[in-house]
Amino acid sequence: MFGRRTLDRLDRMLDEAIAGTFEESDYDESKLSKVESKWKHFLAASVLSRENVEKEKNRVKELVSDISHQTKTPMANIRLYTELLRERMEGSEDLGLLEEIDRQVEKLGFLIQSLTKMSRLESNIVEVKPKRLHISELLDAVVQDILPKVQKKDLKVVNTYTGSGTAYYDMKWTKEALGNIVDNAVKYSPAGSRIIISVREYELYAAVSVKDFGVGIREEDTAKIFRRFYRAEDVHDEDGVGIGLYLAREIVRRENGYIKVKSRQGCGAEFMVYLQRRRI
Amino acid sequence: MKVLRTVDLKKYYGSGENQVKALDGVNLEVERGEFTAIVGTSGSGKSTLLHMLGGLDRPTSGQVYVDDKNILKLKNDALCIFRRRKIGFVFQSYNLVPVLNAYENIVLPIELDGNTVDKGYVDKVIDVLGLKGKLLSLPSQLSGGQQQRVAIARALASKPAILLADEPTGNLDSRTSQDVLGLLKVTGEKFGQTIIMITHNEEIAQLADRIIRIEDGRISEGGEEDE
Repeated sequence: MFGRRTLDRLDRMLDEAIAGTFEESDYDESKLSKVESKWKHFLAASVLSRENVEKEKNRVKELVSDISHQTKTPMANIRLYTELLRERMEGSEDLGLLEEIDRQVEKLGFLIQSLTKMSRLESNIVEVKPKRLHISELLDAVVQDILPKVQKKDLKVVNTYTGSGTAYYDMKWTKEALGNIVDNAVKYSPAGSRIIISVREYELYAAVSVKDFGVGIREEDTAKIFRRFYRAEDVHDEDGVGIGLYLAREIVRRENGYIKVKSRQGCGAEFMVYLQRRRI
Repeated sequence: MKVLRTVDLKKYYGSGENQVKALDGVNLEVERGEFTAIVGTSGSGKSTLLHMLGGLDRPTSGQVYVDDKNILKLKNDALCIFRRRKIGFVFQSYNLVPVLNAYENIVLPIELDGNTVDKGYVDKVIDVLGLKGKLLSLPSQLSGGQQQRVAIARALASKPAILLADEPTGNLDSRTSQDVLGLLKVTGEKFGQTIIMITHNEEIAQLADRIIRIEDGRISEGGEEDE
């Protein structure tokens, strides 16, 4: 039906299209030349629609970042007025209501902050730049950050890692990722219990483990907890918006690492963050 | 977009009293780009299922759709080519060709299909799997973990619609397993590759985005998307 050369040419046209380098050869009255022109037209159209999708996506991201920026002032004002009210209402029974406003504002602030981080990360405004660093640096920073919350709940964080191993990670973002995981451990641990941080070094990855003895995660939830805005049913009373683990996974993924979780309901949970030990 | 769908898949061996129902009505859907683990004990039917999905064996009844194509309607020759183009396999035994070096093994399926190697892509895969320094080594000169990484690279190089992995770390010690699985997960995500992994090991399955449990030839959990 087709000559060998025609087929070869068609094959090459497809290869070039996949590589994004397709150009029409000479124009002539042949059928093949007509096919080439149509092919070019089709490719141009699909590039256009892809670009449109891309533009649309960027617009949404910009919007999120605008919202987070524009809400800062009103949020600060709410806090300020609440404070003023509190001074005027000294001794009143309605102070409890102010507490509630405070709590909700905190929550809203946290949500907006998380959304901003998420949109920045997703739109690649900020880049995750892994560098070769000591693992202990990361652990120290995370433990330091969590201490106030730990003391408040009478928990104990034990860091068992004493090695001097290194891994490729971005300090700022990985601190955020691991911090979110430790934060969860604190949130879901009963007062007085322990949280154990340890490291296992494999040939290619270093696994940072965060183990708690809290409520644990139901088996069917373990794959879902990394989804955006997912919250397990039995922890709805706890504060939180369901972004922390999603962010953690996105960050670690950008460093060519991954996160694994082991848990059974009622028996605590262990999160393992795998960081790359050599550069790709 | 669904890349794989099975409809009431059944595989019976023997007849009468001796009949064994290896698969007994499996309905399964897998989205493009998903990393799915199929977990079951030995004898649960998980390997039979994998053989059906990969077109290695034909079911007693039921349908398998890959990329919207009913693969059971294909003749044997066509099925063979389908496997080469659409399915990447990673088995417990690495199945590398002993007289070819790592790079030759990786690009073999592409060249078998008479295609030119997409050098940029293959290089990237090799890079991510950390095989750059090993390309000229023969399989016998590589460790188990390295051989399995070559097998993964080979499976990815032809950009299959689905990568099927059957106990990919069955022959590896637990430390090496962790590394190989980690790479499988990271490369899968990086290249948007759909992966279906069969294992009896719960811990290994935890790496997947979705876990499907199979018992006595039936899916006991996770078959349908719940979103």
